Amino acid sequence: MTSYFTGASSSASPASASGATSSRFSLASSAVSSPPPSLYSSSQNPSSSTISNVPNPNRRESNRSSVIQPSSLQQQLFGGGGGGGAAPASGGGGGGTGGPVNILERPLNKTKGAEVGMGAWSFLLAEVVAYSQSRVDSVHDLEARLSSLGYEAGQRILTLLLLRNTQTAGGKDPRREHRLIPILQFVHTQVYKYCFGKPADGLERSVEEENEYMITLNQPPLTQHISVPKDMSQLSCEAFTAGIVEGVLDGLDVPARVTAHTVGTDQYPQRTVILIKLDQKVMDREEALGK
Amino acid sequence: MTVHALWVISKAGGLVFSRSYSDALPPLPVNTILTLAGILHGIHAITAKLTPSPIPGQPVGGLESFEAEGWGGKVFLTATGTKFVVLHSIPHPGLDDLLRRIYEIYSDAVMKNPFHTLEMPINSSLFETRLQTLVASVNV
Repeated sequence: MTSYFTGASSSASPASASGATSSRFSLASSAVSSPPPSLYSSSQNPSSSTISNVPNPNRRESNRSSVIQPSSLQQQLFGGGGGGGAAPASGGGGGGTGGPVNILERPLNKTKGAEVGMGAWSFLLAEVVAYSQSRVDSVHDLEARLSSLGYEAGQRILTLLLLRNTQTAGGKDPRREHRLIPILQFVHTQVYKYCFGKPADGLERSVEEENEYMITLNQPPLTQHISVPKDMSQLSCEAFTAGIVEGVLDGLDVPARVTAHTVGTDQYPQRTVILIKLDQKVMDREEALGK
Repeated sequence: MTVHALWVISKAGGLVFSRSYSDALPPLPVNTILTLAGILHGIHAITAKLTPSPIPGQPVGGLESFEAEGWGGKVFLTATGTKFVVLHSIPHPGLDDLLRRIYEIYSDAVMKNPFHTLEMPINSSLFETRLQTLVASVNV
């Protein structure tokens, strides 16, 4: 704050603001009453290496970055009026009449430029885990909490993917898998590709139990920066992913209990196995359909 | 270039991480390193105060490096006040790049870890393994 004021006029401190009447300061005082993003955009130089090394996946943002500083997240999300002179987002859908398109009004079937930056996501998930951890007593409860959050996400992801698939097919022949193996393959390829940018590394059936399937991911991107302390070694923050899988499966009427386990190998120390334990009802139905 | 040791000093002046990477460095008790890190933090603050004609509004940098017979230390100050101190041999090609890489690893493996508490000692196996890999690629 202080540096901001001194940047505007070297002699003006916040206390003596009324005395200083340079034109730059009046610009500053009007900016104070407008939303916070402009506070960051003037002099602060974010030099964090993570910001610069993350490739910018949001093409729309790079179009606009000459006008709006990347730090004004609020403006990106809600098209805030504070910055003024914001260029209209390219390819904006229905609602945009000159201004940037609200995140809720973007077309649902548009996938290009809709990715989220890995750094932003990592910080968000770290905060989610820390928040959940402060409200539970045991590792098991923490995993259950993360899983329930993922479940909510999974239900929405399923709806979105089915809608997009239908729209890609031109609205004709809307398909929904009903057999077990195609459903699991749908999770393995489409859901994982949507969530993590690439399909899972393996889908296999357990040799011991007929109703257990495993989806493996060698380097889970969500939790790549999380290192679990020794006293909680059985925790896997990929419980969030397990929740997503559970939500998707439940939406396709395949109730299952899904858990995540970190089974590291020498090559991939963070390799994660998502264990799907299917409900007996599903196995009965499969048997009936198989005939 | 050989990297002898790395210290991470929090913005309050406490040592939150220290690791030795070479046999050439005499082993020091943790308490000694803690004291040395505190003194270095103080010297950094003094040198920052001594900066001639500081530009108003710009953060002043303090001590950046020190050298002795055959070895030296480099201080890297982040925007948030955390300091990375690398003890290294001379000459030191690519030291600035190394410090940036260390900062990158720190911001990934420490700051994005929900089990890390700010200003507290770093207790992340991921941080250590990634640093080990990085330093092993530099040390010859």
